[in-house]
Amino acid sequence: MTLTLGMFVVILLITLAITYWAAKRTSTTADFYAADSRLTAAQNGFALAGDWCSAAAFLGFTGLTALYGMDGAFYALGPLVAFCTVLFLIAEPMRNTGKYTLGDVIRSRMQTRSSLLAAIVGTVVVNFAYLMPQMAGAGVLVRLLTGISYDWAVIFVGISMIVYVAFGGMLATTWVQIVKAVLMLSAGAIILVLILAQVHFNPLTLFAAAEQKYTAKYLLPGNYLKNPFDQISLALGYTLGLSGLPHVMTRFYTVPDAKVARRSVVWVMFLAGAFFAGTTLFGLAAADFVGQDAIRAADRGGNLTLPLLAQYLGGGKGTFGGDLMLGFVAAVAVATILAVVSALTLSTSGAIAHDFYVNWVKGGKVEGRREVWIARATSVAIGLLAIALGILAQGVNVAVLVILAICVAASANFPVLILSLFWRRFNTGGVIGGMTAGLVSSVVLAMIGPAMRGADALWPLVNPTVVSLPLGFLGAVLGTLFWGRDTENERRFDAFLLQVHTGVASK
Amino acid sequence: MARDEAAALAAAHASVRQLIAEKLRYLIPMTILFMVGYVGLTVLAGFAKDLIGTKVVGPLNLGFVLIALNYLLSWVLAIAYGRIAAAKFDPLAAKATGEISGSGAAR
Repeated sequence: MTLTLGMFVVILLITLAITYWAAKRTSTTADFYAADSRLTAAQNGFALAGDWCSAAAFLGFTGLTALYGMDGAFYALGPLVAFCTVLFLIAEPMRNTGKYTLGDVIRSRMQTRSSLLAAIVGTVVVNFAYLMPQMAGAGVLVRLLTGISYDWAVIFVGISMIVYVAFGGMLATTWVQIVKAVLMLSAGAIILVLILAQVHFNPLTLFAAAEQKYTAKYLLPGNYLKNPFDQISLALGYTLGLSGLPHVMTRFYTVPDAKVARRSVVWVMFLAGAFFAGTTLFGLAAADFVGQDAIRAADRGGNLTLPLLAQYLGGGKGTFGGDLMLGFVAAVAVATILAVVSALTLSTSGAIAHDFYVNWVKGGKVEGRREVWIARATSVAIGLLAIALGILAQGVNVAVLVILAICVAASANFPVLILSLFWRRFNTGGVIGGMTAGLVSSVVLAMIGPAMRGADALWPLVNPTVVSLPLGFLGAVLGTLFWGRDTENERRFDAFLLQVHTGVASK
Repeated sequence: MARDEAAALAAAHASVRQLIAEKLRYLIPMTILFMVGYVGLTVLAGFAKDLIGTKVVGPLNLGFVLIALNYLLSWVLAIAYGRIAAAKFDPLAAKATGEISGSGAAR
């Protein structure tokens, strides 16, 4: 416990030093939202890895694999494949057309107030659906790891993220993410080497031992996701939902141009992909060495699998090596949460302060220094709201919100974004139609499904993406057709395409 | 002057159309490849469990081999996209930018 707390304090001091350094370099809106677009591809690649790997990835994938075998490996693969979509279709056009937010892209394409409002709703819903379970997870995790109470854990995490974002903006958030990514990858590399040393550098031994201990069924699919359509929903949600997650996509504004944005995606695919692949081996090793009973005894959902495995590899409970490894992994887990919640707070404040207040209410006519002040104040307000929601969420089933975040991102934000970038006839009606259909179908189907209602579910799928995503596209197409031709918007499309593909804005 | 600007814009728009056609030529097959690879694997996992459970290398079944191949495919596509974009897309984008930047139509 003392070692763990000591390492928390070290990480906290590092992040506060970063924030102090970043605060002195954050004065304009471009600094606050986009770190003045001066990051390199490698820096943004590490930051993307720190941003995209939530605690659900860092702790969850290992736990799922340890308890359910192959389904955990599916969970880990999806978030890598998702970056193919981002690389091919989203990263460069985002960089070329927007400034600080997802709403910017829609606004520059449609130039109407109602389409901007629809984009704001999409961002705020997805971000809060993502933020609330992160806060609740932080409370549970920090309590388990350090012994402080749930409420205080949420308050501690919330205040840290408010300090990073309000004072250091995107620059502090970025470097917190980079530090977290380096720590996470180091922890992964150490654990991997220790595992391989145990099995004489033959990873196949892990599979053989797991099969012997838990029968062949353990290495088959379907132990966690029993309905095949849930598997497909998961796959679609990941591959298309990442492109609709505003807190990850806004990272592309932190680099100077589309070429650097592209190279940063290649970086994150190798950094995060290697870690995801590692979690499958970590999970099997934990099942072999620690055992499913001990894992379930520590936490029924398996979220403490990786700390337990690290403790075992370090020499076991009560040894110095074991405590050191446990403390290290626990501290990285907290750093992981801090990096993700900061990004969510920053991106939500972009939607509220930049998209809603400055562009929607004031029509873009706000003086620069005042806009930065508003952005900082907004991030404080969002942080306080997140703390309140996190405390209220204690004991509530927030699993449905995790599914909802990625499902809405895939079913509402993704269709609207992709059609804005590539379809000439797409118009304001389509933005409203797609956003409404994707959002409403995701929320309704998730609420009446087994994640919320258990055995009383009115419909069988935990994750509704396989149905809500086509509905989102249908809504976007029907909305476009019912709205009628917007010839002015269609005429502007050539100039918009020029900007999407080259970054040059023309008259 | 106005006529020059209009001509420059038209030329730039034509170059962009060429760029989009070139992008589609590569991106459509690459997108189909990773979607079929990944979504196809999950469909097999849901509906062909016996096939997925077939042992391939020692204790490793087909499912884990396909998962490993999906990782490799993503990484290969990432590198390939980077190379193709630098060799084929960037010159066309630079051409469009050049056509418009001298004319005063860019802001």
